[in-house]
Amino acid sequence: MTLSDIAFWLFSAGAVWTAWRVFRTDSMVRASFALMLSFFCVAAILLLLSAPYLGIATIFMMAVEMMVMALFMVMFMMNPAGLNPMMMVHQHKVSIGAGVAAFAGLGAAALLTDLPHHAVAAGKPVIRDLGTELLGGSMLIFETAGITLLATMVATVVLSSRSGRFGAADEGSRPPGLEPGGKPAGRAPERDSDHSHHAEHGG
Amino acid sequence: MTLTAILLVAAALIGIGLYGALSQQSFVMLMMGLELILNGVLLIAVGFWSLGLGGPPRGQLLAIVVMAVMAIEMAVGFALVTAVYRKRQADTTEGLETMKH
Amino acid sequence: MTALIAVLLLLAAGIWFGATADAVAEAAVAGHPVRAALTSPFRRAALMLSRQAIATEHPDRLNRLLAPACYLVLAAAGLSVIPFAPGMAVTDIATGLVLWGACEALVVVVVFLNGWSANAPLPLIGGYRYVAIGLPAMLISMFVLIGAALPAQSLGVGAVVESQRVLINAVRQPLGLPLFLLLGLSITLRGPFDYGDSADLAGGTHAEASGAHRLLWRAAKLAMLTAFSAMAATVFLGGYLGTVLPGPAWLVLKTALVMLVLVAITHLVARVPPARMLTWLWTVLLPLSFVDLVWAGLEAMR
Repeated sequence: MTLSDIAFWLFSAGAVWTAWRVFRTDSMVRASFALMLSFFCVAAILLLLSAPYLGIATIFMMAVEMMVMALFMVMFMMNPAGLNPMMMVHQHKVSIGAGVAAFAGLGAAALLTDLPHHAVAAGKPVIRDLGTELLGGSMLIFETAGITLLATMVATVVLSSRSGRFGAADEGSRPPGLEPGGKPAGRAPERDSDHSHHAEHGG
Repeated sequence: MTLTAILLVAAALIGIGLYGALSQQSFVMLMMGLELILNGVLLIAVGFWSLGLGGPPRGQLLAIVVMAVMAIEMAVGFALVTAVYRKRQADTTEGLETMKH
Repeated sequence: MTALIAVLLLLAAGIWFGATADAVAEAAVAGHPVRAALTSPFRRAALMLSRQAIATEHPDRLNRLLAPACYLVLAAAGLSVIPFAPGMAVTDIATGLVLWGACEALVVVVVFLNGWSANAPLPLIGGYRYVAIGLPAMLISMFVLIGAALPAQSLGVGAVVESQRVLINAVRQPLGLPLFLLLGLSITLRGPFDYGDSADLAGGTHAEASGAHRLLWRAAKLAMLTAFSAMAATVFLGGYLGTVLPGPAWLVLKTALVMLVLVAITHLVARVPPARMLTWLWTVLLPLSFVDLVWAGLEAMR
């Protein structure tokens, strides 16, 4: 048992435990930061696996992503701090079954397969390799990812903007019922001032 | 630290992620499940790259692509959440029940 | 080992120097006697320590404790990649600039957590506002840092310093340092970029903090100011490079210079409303960082 083995098992336990906490904590903000910690543990494992760039880039990316995640939690959830206990789940038993089945299946595959054993050489210039691969042989793939990200930006703006070609996105918006098919919860839909203006003209 | 151990850890992450993605009612929590699945995929990709195949450059490229997929999933996911919230004033998946028909 | 001691010494000295410079600048701007301001940081620190700790209702206790401590740790982690002399850094890793970028990103998380954990409106508004401004400011700094890494052909901080032997990056890429200074103001919650801890929110994310907690948060901000200044001095002003004096002395002098510039901006430039700042960040400053990147690329190909 070398030092890196001990570190690996510690980080593995950390990654799995924080991942489990994500769905068990009442506070949504804590959930997003628990997910961030899970990613950090995986990033530390990547560092142990001699992938220095990928490891630190994961920390960098996940810090930003989970920050945004927490922001949306505070924005959309009714109880982001988890001051009241809450459990918002559906098809719970099926989901547990699917999760366990996925773990069992993938675990069995990992245990039963004859895996290749060819570790990366100690002095290999992995960061330089990655750079020349990204902007050399696989440039087309890398650029495709770039174009996809651009398309994502356009799609994001289109989806999330309030104003649209066929009127405001929240026109006639109605909250869901307190019970299925029941009266809408929360505030009633606001009447649009433009709309009433048109109605006056028509009538 | 063997490849098998890494694959087992990744399988656990994917299992928890799948549970979250299927069980959570809130869209943002659902996305956390998807992120966890991708977390496991990232670990598998780098595990094979580092311990199985002797560090071929394309293995790292795959990891970069996984990260790009995470970013895209987050961005589109939040845009969808915003769109759903505008229409239904809720961020739960049940808010979209009219899409069933 | 010497590098680790140097980092801790630089942090301690930086906190003292930053606090004194702040007090002097404040006194000078307000027209108060500057002499009394020289010792006031110690008096203020002692006063803060003697105050009782305030407890809010249902705080997020864990994160309330962690936030200031993590802020301090991030400053030390950022300093750990900076070479004090050729090869004399705590960790001379090949991805030093990426590590610094991760520290920047985590500062946003830490400031948000500090505002979040108090469970009070003003700190939460501060944290929320800070995230909106801090994330784009961090993006700009990443592009600028990539520009600085281009002539070095490496993401290692040591290589970036060595690439400045002929010409420092502040001259070679004139847009780089000013844009990077904006990030410095942002991650240390200062002056025009102080959207987290500002006076209009009665102290923002640390409005509900008192006693040792408040002192630690203030000290961590100054520690981050030191770390940022050392980074700016290393990446854009040539770090330990210089004649006559030994390398570490040059680094300390340049760090102090950047700190003084930031302190001056803090007390001389006003803050604009967050919405306007956000527009400027996305429509003016981010495109400017692209210009810087193109400039750096063309210059590196020359």
